[in-house]
Amino acid sequence: MLLLEHDGKELLASHGLPIAPGILLSIGETPGPDSLPPAPWVVKVQVPTGGRGKAGGIRLADSAADVERELAALLGSTLKGHAVRGCRVETRIKGGREIYLSLSADAASGGVMMLVSAMGGVDIESVAPEHILRATVSPDLAAVLAALPDLTTPLPADLRTPVGEALTAAARAFFASEALLLEINPLFVRADGGWLAGDAKVILDDNAFPRHPELVAMAQARADAYPETVFKLNEDFDFIVLDQAGTVGMVTTGAGLSMMMVDQLGDAGVSAFNFCDMRTGQMKGSPHRLKLVFDQMSQAPNLAVMLVNVFAGITHLGEFARLLVEAIAQTPHLPQVPIVARLLGNGLAEAEATLTQLGDQVILEPDLDKALALAAAFAKGHSA
Amino acid sequence: MIAMPDLNTPVLVQGITGRAAQLHTRLMLAYGTRIVAGTSSRADAEPVEGVPVFPDCAQAVAATGATASITMVPPLAVADAVAQAIGAGIRLVVSIAEGVPVHDAMRIRRLAEQAGATWLGASTPGLCIPGEMKLGFLPDAALLPGPIGVISKSGTLSYEVCYRLKQLGLGQSAWIGVGGDLVKGTRFPDLLPYFAGDPRTQALVVVGEIGGTEEEDLATAIAATGFAKPTFVLIAGSKAREGVTMGHAGALVHGTSGTVASKTRAIEAAGGQAFTNIDTLVMAVARQMGR
Repeated sequence: MLLLEHDGKELLASHGLPIAPGILLSIGETPGPDSLPPAPWVVKVQVPTGGRGKAGGIRLADSAADVERELAALLGSTLKGHAVRGCRVETRIKGGREIYLSLSADAASGGVMMLVSAMGGVDIESVAPEHILRATVSPDLAAVLAALPDLTTPLPADLRTPVGEALTAAARAFFASEALLLEINPLFVRADGGWLAGDAKVILDDNAFPRHPELVAMAQARADAYPETVFKLNEDFDFIVLDQAGTVGMVTTGAGLSMMMVDQLGDAGVSAFNFCDMRTGQMKGSPHRLKLVFDQMSQAPNLAVMLVNVFAGITHLGEFARLLVEAIAQTPHLPQVPIVARLLGNGLAEAEATLTQLGDQVILEPDLDKALALAAAFAKGHSA
Repeated sequence: MIAMPDLNTPVLVQGITGRAAQLHTRLMLAYGTRIVAGTSSRADAEPVEGVPVFPDCAQAVAATGATASITMVPPLAVADAVAQAIGAGIRLVVSIAEGVPVHDAMRIRRLAEQAGATWLGASTPGLCIPGEMKLGFLPDAALLPGPIGVISKSGTLSYEVCYRLKQLGLGQSAWIGVGGDLVKGTRFPDLLPYFAGDPRTQALVVVGEIGGTEEEDLATAIAATGFAKPTFVLIAGSKAREGVTMGHAGALVHGTSGTVASKTRAIEAAGGQAFTNIDTLVMAVARQMGR
């Protein structure tokens, strides 16, 4: 789960890293007279993407009236394709040297990668490799601390101590919250050696949440900001709205194959409303998961067709079909669109018999490519 | 080199008394896997499908000589289970649970490296040498002995690919799922030496996806080792938006790395072929194999 800047900074602060004081304001909220941190301010949109400043999502405010004006302009707007639901209003701080630092779980080495650059404040991908110091270490704090001299000694003398302190504090937060990425860019280092996290990009590991009730509570309290994570936490399967205007509702299982089907629909010129990985093997005889999916599809304004795909190793297709029929019957506002179903595995004959209850709304197609082509044709017929 | 099993490899099932574990034990035995032991934390555990059950890996290994294990335990218990297996001298550990925390995966990976053992996981459907044995639950509907080496990040997508190749009479020499986790025990390039040396393997099919650099690293290894078998790579996620993860934690594009374009460039530069569509990959493999 990629944290919005506000949540990332508050997480850092909870682990003792200094940040500029700030508050989060959502649509419909205005700051009370005493709620603002010390002036002057910067108003920052909270959307999960970089380059907010260039896109006009970071504004300066010197008076409370400025803050209100900028909030009115930003909240409810759209920035780089993301709806702006919240803004962080924080005290504008005098800068200093801008440093980049990050810790991340490194896929290639299986360890923790640490990066430091004295040329912070810009996208790290735009920094020439010779200006980036790197170390990859074992996934424990002792290994990180042992590697600190490699990362700080090459820096200018006045930066070594503050960057070392910041890295140590960041590493503690990284391990304590089981983060996948913890990036501070820029880290402001003042002439007196003081330092402060100017921004925070934190990716948390949803799979570790059972060990972190405080992170679960944070996500649950901000369900509007993290709908997919909260859905997964509550329901234990993946459902992601890909395109509100999408025409194809996906009722599919398996992450990789579902992703590929979204790709191939895209190649055919149609847009999937959603991605999902139903994990049909875990449905335990209940239509609950299918009902949740159909509830979501009832909200899809352009839904033209549903595409069902189950390649079942263990799942019994007869039971799956029965649950599908039940879930449809129990979702009153589900649009009556064609359902293209590709089923493969045990219990196929029983599934076919069950699905006849839905009449000609269901088209069974054993070949995946043909099922995709059929769904695309229905989708285009609708949009034409 | 990975500790690849064969039909004689004595296998241990960790957590064998669970409901799903009993089912998979039965299916693996039926396939021909030589399961010699199970472990269970339950003190009164009876044998499962005739397989004796021990309280821990050390006792199971001492009594049966098991050298490979499959862990059938919940995600938060995988780290301890793998550590216990490696501590008992197991050379190959396969874990199948979805949702193993990445910090656990990093620690297990270190342990396996230090012990010189192979860990396949965190979340994989396992591996199979068709006609001989399987560790995990790759579906019989897609399995067939044959000349194609298959390595995959995605279970379901590899099922579909192998199912279609099987329709054309093309089976697998070995099929190994590495999983879609961000940090994993065994990555694509780790498997290249096995397929290079395996005389049954005539071509390699790689079921990949966006995110990370595993396909790129495989390409580097192909070029560096002179791997000469025709290689076909499927990459899922061509329509994924930056920053949106679909199911697999590893399948996340940041900036310019991990994209379909980057992977395609690397694979083609190493002499392989890259695809973003199942059918075009299957047809290319079929042409190569004269079908």
